[in-house]
Amino acid sequence: MALKLNVNGGEREADVSPDTPLLWVLRDHLGLTGTKYGCGGGYCGACTVHVDGNPVRACQLPVSTIGDSRVTTIEALEESHPQLLDVWVANNVAQCGYCQAGQLMSAAALLNSNPTPTVADIDAALAGNLCRCGTYGRIREAIQAAAGQPATEPAAAGENGQ
Amino acid sequence: MTITNLSPTALSPALSKGPDLSRRGFLGVSGVFVLGACVPGCAPTPAPQLASGGFAPNLFLALEPDGTVRITAHRSEMGQGIRTALAQIVADELDADWARVQVEQAVGDTKYGDQNTDGSRSILLNYDRLRAAGATARLMLRQAAAQHWQVPVEEVTAANHAVTHAATGRQLGYGELAGEAAALPVPEEAPQKDNAEHRYIGQPQVHVDAAAIARGQGTFGADYQVPNMATAVIVRCPWLGGGVREVRNRPEPAPGFLGIEILQPAPSAGPVFAPLGGVAVIAEDTWTAIRTARELDVEWTESPNKSFDSEALQTALREACEKPGKGVPNAEQGDVDAVFAAGDGTELAATYETPFLAHAPMEPPVAVADVTADQCIINAPVQDPQATRHLVAEQFGFPIANVTVTPTLLGGAFGRKSKPDFVLEAVELSQRLGRPVRVQWLREDDVRHDYFHAASAQHHRAVIDEQGMPSAWLQRTAFPSITTMFRADAEPPAEWELEMGFSNLPYQVANRRMEYAGIRPGVRVGWLRSVCNIFHAFSANVFADEMAAAAGRDAIEHRLAMLGAAGKLDVPGMQPPTGHELDVSRLRHVIERVRELSEWQRPRPEGVGLGFAVHHSFRSYVATVLEATMANGQPQVSNAYVVLDCGTFINPDTCVAQMEGAVVFGLSLALRGNISMQGGAVVQSNFHDYPLLRLPEAPTTTVELVPAQGRLPAGVGEPGVPPIAPALVNALFAATGTRYRRLPIEA
Repeated sequence: MALKLNVNGGEREADVSPDTPLLWVLRDHLGLTGTKYGCGGGYCGACTVHVDGNPVRACQLPVSTIGDSRVTTIEALEESHPQLLDVWVANNVAQCGYCQAGQLMSAAALLNSNPTPTVADIDAALAGNLCRCGTYGRIREAIQAAAGQPATEPAAAGENGQ
Repeated sequence: MTITNLSPTALSPALSKGPDLSRRGFLGVSGVFVLGACVPGCAPTPAPQLASGGFAPNLFLALEPDGTVRITAHRSEMGQGIRTALAQIVADELDADWARVQVEQAVGDTKYGDQNTDGSRSILLNYDRLRAAGATARLMLRQAAAQHWQVPVEEVTAANHAVTHAATGRQLGYGELAGEAAALPVPEEAPQKDNAEHRYIGQPQVHVDAAAIARGQGTFGADYQVPNMATAVIVRCPWLGGGVREVRNRPEPAPGFLGIEILQPAPSAGPVFAPLGGVAVIAEDTWTAIRTARELDVEWTESPNKSFDSEALQTALREACEKPGKGVPNAEQGDVDAVFAAGDGTELAATYETPFLAHAPMEPPVAVADVTADQCIINAPVQDPQATRHLVAEQFGFPIANVTVTPTLLGGAFGRKSKPDFVLEAVELSQRLGRPVRVQWLREDDVRHDYFHAASAQHHRAVIDEQGMPSAWLQRTAFPSITTMFRADAEPPAEWELEMGFSNLPYQVANRRMEYAGIRPGVRVGWLRSVCNIFHAFSANVFADEMAAAAGRDAIEHRLAMLGAAGKLDVPGMQPPTGHELDVSRLRHVIERVRELSEWQRPRPEGVGLGFAVHHSFRSYVATVLEATMANGQPQVSNAYVVLDCGTFINPDTCVAQMEGAVVFGLSLALRGNISMQGGAVVQSNFHDYPLLRLPEAPTTTVELVPAQGRLPAGVGEPGVPPIAPALVNALFAATGTRYRRLPIEA
């Protein structure tokens, strides 16, 4: 069935079964392959997109539930968060890069709601995004830098990176 | 293709160098010609003029008239920054302007030499030849300018994408010289820069793919698009070797569902990296394939592996290493048994155990194949496009020239994607269906059907004096060998597996014996980032810490004492490649540096422990200190300190990033990693039961890189991993007094 979706500020149409997760509609039907499949179970966050500004797991969201909500994907981040992307690139945050769209979408959602996050805020907001390459430290630093804060100091014993 | 080509040859003492560049070859792309490189022995040959007016003096670089330099990366990018590092080497010797450098990905082809991106050796294998490639082009550009101005070549200099004649103030850009340079004979030799003159080598550089990745524009395996492509999801037998007996419920027709295909498994000990078989569900889109695959009810045939139980294997490995095994040849020193019998000193004995692990790259295996009447075009995240190409040609009977394998970006690999079984599945299905097919592994497929890192057990027994110094040390290791993948009769570990942190332990012991055993597993095993070093470095570093603790001695002082004097280590039975002998002074140096970096001697609060480990692997030296606590029964690591000596490095920021990543990778396996099998089937399936470290758990990591000092390049991607688990166990012992000898740590 043909569904209308508001994606990255434009109206898009996809002829899909209504139970199709948003992830596969974006990737297979709308050609937006920046959003990644990592687990299909909502565990890894590689498929994180924004729905009405909130970070969600696109692999867990049947497209029929989207309705008129605004869907934002990594492809739109350059326009809304150029500074975040610049810092991300300059700091060589990505290694293989596969999880990074999800990390960036979680980071952008955090900065939207909390422009000066603490390390604890960052840890909480990014806890759902796995990175097998282990770029976590640079993710923390990049988000702080994008928010105009100094980089992480060595952690006090008994804390993680705080 | 031979088995050796696909095994991690990096790990064998004789380095496979691949063909050098002293042969001419031609790359049939847009009329740009390519010459074999200009290393000594290459006859001077005029370079043909190009239609484009471009200049391409060797396989690895082409200069366009507009000044664009295209550098070919022939190794696969999986996060280790190799596309950037290879280009840095060429661009440096070429003296190119980095802003005008573009990196292109090579297809799999023997003309590039070794392309097996595995074993942490891309820089090691290519440093000299890529420097020569850049330097030769720079010389030819100078020659072209000198000819243009009718001045001696000695009077012209090349720098930053231009050639200058200082005496007359004339200058020509590289692009302007491309046509004239292309007409020159390729010189036999070209001067290379002194290390001090390097401007990209040894300097941090943003990865060439970083901007695309941050914008969601990087092309990974599943992102590759080709018209009319179908998607396949394959339902596989839970146990190894089982085939399809019956599909009990034929799926109902549905929009987008195209049908199922039965794939029979290869016979046991069948072709290397042959697919597992199963039922392929083909659809126009991924979700239809996934949903339909989930509904399939398949009855599988029996296989001897159906009785495989990992806990039983673990018990067998433990028992095997607690009794005499085969001795490592030529490695025995003194008389271990006599010292044990004498009963002088304190005897220590401990057994260590590690489980199976899955690679779990964030991108599960995926491949796109397009088989037509006369071509087989593959785009996939493969670590070795050349071996993949040969394997496909061989198994499907295609002429090699008709098979093209282009690596996409790899969404993580860690060794998994050097085994191209998933590519063979796509080729088989595309051939059957007569249209392009993408095979998409689900996360559950990836976790359940991996080439698992082998479970293991080690037993250490020593007699130590009051200083903790061993007078006798018996080491035993037992694990399923990776060679069981290649030979039906293989059982004991191979020499190259033992040389990963077992037979090459650098400690001075008068009486020493090393024994090993292997047991065939009922699952596929394969190399995972740092391979056998994981468990060997774990057991040896923890046992060394136990010796120090038993003597009440500082662990680092004790270790330095056990290492003995500086100098090259003569490891019995080991023949390291020339220039890569284990250098005890370098090992001592990284230890001394990490002691400083971590402020090892600064007292930490009650309940906070520091743990130390050091390991030499992939020709690099890594010392690590972790700072850990046990909080509410959960180990927590606050800080990690790592010192890396990898000899000459290209991109220091990448080296630091690889150490940061190794800390997280190592903590994941130390704290969480556990794959188990019951009834031949893997118990775990996804990240909820095969968890990885998450961001809030990641320590702050401080890395120090030992200056290059003109040394040979060595590995970076893997050697950071082995010290992590033992450093954590040692830190937790310091924090709590409890010694965890089995991974993952169960507090």
